[in-house]
Amino acid sequence: MDPTSLVGPSNPLGYPAPYWFLVSFKVLGFALHAVPMNLWYAGVILFMLLYLRGGANGRRLVGRLMKQMPIIVAYGINLGIIPLLFTQVAYYKVFYPATILMAWPWLSIIGLLTIAYYGIYVYIAGLRGDRLRWFNLAAGWVSAVLFIVMGFIFANGFSLMVNLDDWPSLWRGSDMGGAPLGLALNTGDPSLWPRWLMMFGLALTTTAAYIVVDTAFFAGKESAEYRRWATDLAFKVYTVGIVWFAVTGSWYAFGTWPSEARAAMFGGPQALLTALTAVGPGLPWLLILAQRRRLTRRLALFTGLAQFGVLALNAISRQVLQNVELSRFLDVTAEQVRMQWSPLLVFLILFVAGLSVTFWMISKVVEAERQAVGSAG
Amino acid sequence: MHYPWWQVPFITAPMLIAAVSVLHVIVSHYAVGGGFFLAVETRYAYRHSRRDYLAYLKDHAWFFILVTVVYGAITGVGIWWTIGLASPLATEMLIHTFVFGWGMEYVFFVLEIASAFIFFYYWDKLRPKTHQTIGWIYAISAWISLVLISGITAFMLNPGGWPQRRDFWVGFFNPQFVPQTLARTGGAFLLTSLYVYLHASFRVKDADLRRLIEARSARPALVGSVLVVVGGVGWYAFLPASARAALAAATVLNVLMLVIFAVTAVVFVMMYWGPYRNPGWLSPGFAILFFACGLVAISTGEFIREAVRKPYIIYNVVMSNQILPEEIPTLRRVGYLESGTWTKAWVAAEYPQVMNGEEIDEAKLLTLPEEDQVRLGEVLFQYHCNDCHAGRYGYSSIGYLTRGWTPEMIRALVEAPERAKFFMPPFAGTKEEAELLSKYVVSLAPPFPSGMYFGNGR
Repeated sequence: MDPTSLVGPSNPLGYPAPYWFLVSFKVLGFALHAVPMNLWYAGVILFMLLYLRGGANGRRLVGRLMKQMPIIVAYGINLGIIPLLFTQVAYYKVFYPATILMAWPWLSIIGLLTIAYYGIYVYIAGLRGDRLRWFNLAAGWVSAVLFIVMGFIFANGFSLMVNLDDWPSLWRGSDMGGAPLGLALNTGDPSLWPRWLMMFGLALTTTAAYIVVDTAFFAGKESAEYRRWATDLAFKVYTVGIVWFAVTGSWYAFGTWPSEARAAMFGGPQALLTALTAVGPGLPWLLILAQRRRLTRRLALFTGLAQFGVLALNAISRQVLQNVELSRFLDVTAEQVRMQWSPLLVFLILFVAGLSVTFWMISKVVEAERQAVGSAG
Repeated sequence: MHYPWWQVPFITAPMLIAAVSVLHVIVSHYAVGGGFFLAVETRYAYRHSRRDYLAYLKDHAWFFILVTVVYGAITGVGIWWTIGLASPLATEMLIHTFVFGWGMEYVFFVLEIASAFIFFYYWDKLRPKTHQTIGWIYAISAWISLVLISGITAFMLNPGGWPQRRDFWVGFFNPQFVPQTLARTGGAFLLTSLYVYLHASFRVKDADLRRLIEARSARPALVGSVLVVVGGVGWYAFLPASARAALAAATVLNVLMLVIFAVTAVVFVMMYWGPYRNPGWLSPGFAILFFACGLVAISTGEFIREAVRKPYIIYNVVMSNQILPEEIPTLRRVGYLESGTWTKAWVAAEYPQVMNGEEIDEAKLLTLPEEDQVRLGEVLFQYHCNDCHAGRYGYSSIGYLTRGWTPEMIRALVEAPERAKFFMPPFAGTKEEAELLSKYVVSLAPPFPSGMYFGNGR
């Protein structure tokens, strides 16, 4: 069966904005979403291990960062809305069929996320007391595992979006009267495993960068010894993450990409993007290395920004690769555009206004924090 | 047809949307009304220097965050997940129309989360005036997100002039927009009082404080009840004729409408004579009873809102079986199996002998062995009918509905379902396909129940 025959017709309404606008917001949204998502993806299991093996400083760090986790998860979920929205606008022809073929695993994300999120609250409820009881620890571990499982399901969904070659067999493998039962997973796709694992390596690096930012900006009340230890830990975690990223990324690119994808990503202007994506994590790693002796807020800020750059480069590369892989089956840019100018303007105005109000609220929080520190001093 | 159809045994895929939606709305309305409750009551407590009330409000804010920011946010995303799986074409149409509307809603979600966490975590750390402002930022953001989603859900029931003009604002400010916004705002206020009672009845031991909470929390419920009724009347007044007819024709919907109005009236009367005029009623039992009433009313309202749209998902824009109305003439001429992306691929793979080059030769379909014709009928059933009907068993199963029918009766229904029931979509296929579908339905229909006496000999 020719998988192209499974791609449906174009929507009669067309795109509400040019493709470049939709894809820009998709990529920006994903890069923003990746920051908190990385922290729960690799961070929670790292913190569970640290609690067991990290000594007193490890437990302090776990206490600090796990208490922030409810806010991190809330923002992660919310920041995921924008890339999901624009994926559904620009990639609807492959997004819906891929997720329907694996409907039950895809839908299970909602239940798993609910359990994982409440698990975080149960864990930190124990942190407020004198010690963590068995059920607090169990809840933390359940959350950690579920976040990784959800990552696996997401990797399945987004790899299946471009793996149209396997659609016919996955569909016909479990259908009733031509209607899929929604039980498929894209496990036959060789790119799935390195893709999933590579994301974990990247998430480790983000977690390490965040430890540096937290230690520099929010751990003012902690001892100098703790701050040194945390920076040192961040360096070790980043190093593990970067090696992991390099190994799985190489496996992904050299072992699983089809020849046309390799040709596109390693040739022409894309080669520079691919190279930057590959070596990008080196910059935050160097910045953390430079801070092992003395942590500074300026360098920590650069570390955070550089890590965001790493995630943004990764998001752009993934987008370019996604389009290359899909180009055999459809051209996502070849849709009519029926511009929705006024809703777009209102959205942008509200976006800016929303950011302004958020910054105002944050300024009030900073002011309150300063007053609290001042009165304590 | 444009997409693969997800077969969910027994309940059908769209019922998952209903289930997730109900799970979401019982919390999302509280997320809006609770914001106003916290903003208004925090202001009251500061003004009257009620430290005990402030302590209660802080406790309630924590409960509020646990319920709304976690469960509410995830089930909200859950609706997205489910509609994309169970109603992909309608979701595609909605998102191509309202992507910037959802983008705006996202901005307010971000504000909601930031303000909710700051409101709770910086309690006693911010100056009272700033603290109250943060509370109001939450309340207003949450309400605007309600307004934005009301515009879109109202569009699905009555898109007004959108099908002709295809303009975002025409679709958003549709005839159902104001009534649904009023009803949802009222529902949010009403439900919030019930949440507060539920929480306070278990958490507050001090009798004076309990009475204060009782009396003050009755007011949003009373205002909310009025808004629900006003919005409900407007909702009915601006229903399309088919939706009004569906409401009148379906006994279950009539009963459910009565349930909503009766429950709302009961809650109003009990609130007024109880907590508002004679505080002191609040107990866990009373709170649980009220809360159950609220859940019944709001869940029923959502069910009716969904049900009256049939035979459309978006009135006059997307049929309930995932096709566009303007596609129907072509489907009748060319064939549903031929026109469906996934149905055609299935037929080509399973029965290459009926293919004439790249196209299905409809005439050859009826030359296949009987068993294969039934199989093809099943494909038509899955893609054309399973949105609303399970097969042999389950939700609104075609087996139960056609028990004892003759093949001729089934054939007549299949050829023109909209003539038998106006809230069913018309059959969108060729005569040959109607024959295939009829054969499949006949294969499901159980015999007439035995032992029934109609006076013609025992």
